[in-house]
Amino acid sequence: MPEPAPGPTAGGPPRSRRARSSRPATERNSADAGRHPSRGGGLDPMARRAQRRRERDREQAPAASARPGDARPEDHRPDGDRPGRDGSAEPGRWASLARALLVPSRHQVLLGLVLGLVAMGVVMQVRSQSADDTYSTARRTDLIQLLDGLSAESRRLEDELATLEQTRRELETGADSERTARQEAQSRLEELSILAGTAPAEGPGIRLHVTDPQGKVNAQVMLNAVEELRDAGAEVIELDDTVRVGTSTWFGDGPDGLVVDGQPLQSPIVVEVIGDPHALEEAVRFRGGLVSEITGPQVEGQVGVEQLDRVVVDTVRPPTVFQHAEPVPR
Amino acid sequence: MIAIIGLLLGIVLGVLLEPTLPASLQPYLPIAIVAALDALFGGARAWLEATFTDKVFVVSFVSNVLIAALIVWVGDQIGVGSQLSTGVVVVLGIRIFTNAAAIRRHLFHA
Repeated sequence: MPEPAPGPTAGGPPRSRRARSSRPATERNSADAGRHPSRGGGLDPMARRAQRRRERDREQAPAASARPGDARPEDHRPDGDRPGRDGSAEPGRWASLARALLVPSRHQVLLGLVLGLVAMGVVMQVRSQSADDTYSTARRTDLIQLLDGLSAESRRLEDELATLEQTRRELETGADSERTARQEAQSRLEELSILAGTAPAEGPGIRLHVTDPQGKVNAQVMLNAVEELRDAGAEVIELDDTVRVGTSTWFGDGPDGLVVDGQPLQSPIVVEVIGDPHALEEAVRFRGGLVSEITGPQVEGQVGVEQLDRVVVDTVRPPTVFQHAEPVPR
Repeated sequence: MIAIIGLLLGIVLGVLLEPTLPASLQPYLPIAIVAALDALFGGARAWLEATFTDKVFVVSFVSNVLIAALIVWVGDQIGVGSQLSTGVVVVLGIRIFTNAAAIRRHLFHA
């Protein structure tokens, strides 16, 4: 059965010129551009092989046929059981294909082996392609290039990250300093408004009840009292829940007695002071101070002093509008 | 019949056993597969042309696969592996198409 024949992948086999020339022109045209003389294409390969062998024999004995070129291949076929010629040979062709597929032979075993190998290889390859992606089969240079690209990209991103972090730090410190400045300004504003008397205030302090039955407490006494309280660290002073003592507070003697900031004050006068309670009490009780002056023979009044944990001063002064002074620009 | 059984057996074995090639041979498998396909098509064409012999088929199959892999391996050694593998795939692809055309003409006369 194995017969020396051209390789299957070697294109057209080197066929005999005679065989080609022996075919009619129409048949040649119908064949594959004259490249493959599919003589007896409808035949089973075995039959065709037998035919070729016969033709070879005929070539060796040219006397067998006077003019081989005139003869059709079919004419030399002794077994006339093969139906059909080219063109009308489809059923025979397919039948021989089916027969070759169905009938076991050595070819089949061999082909099965080879096909099995190829199928296994394809499955392996498909598996490895789908399992781990492109990198496992990539070449070293490609991988290096890929890696280079990636590291360059990561360097770029790191730079960007550093820049962004720097920006964030700057913004944060900016926001911090702005917030600090605002807090400072706010506390300063509160401080100043307490000092100027434009804001209510509360805190520890003392409350004085000055009883003056004879109306002898005049502006001088009151001014001295306020000065002494301020000396002792009084931060907020309020008289009778109506007058908040500020920088421009004045004391005068009206017809009905004491007048502070235009408000007449009647006995008893309540003085509320925010500051260190102990120091404030000392400031009014020292010898020659407010208490001794009022309880003395000249006034003959009484002074009650109580230390309080929480003194609330609600009275405010209208804010001063400066006409001439303005802050020095920094 | 046996051929089809062999084909199915190969697929089943590949799926079940999950064989793995050593990593150094991994890049040559696709090329080898293409070469094997070329050999198969060439075998089919030879069968249709009644020039099929199993010895030639087996030898051409093995040599095709080995030579294709060898070419790519040499290309890898001298630094033109990807280009050479592309070239091999192109050439084998052309041959597959030629063989397929011949088979088609034989079977359908078209």
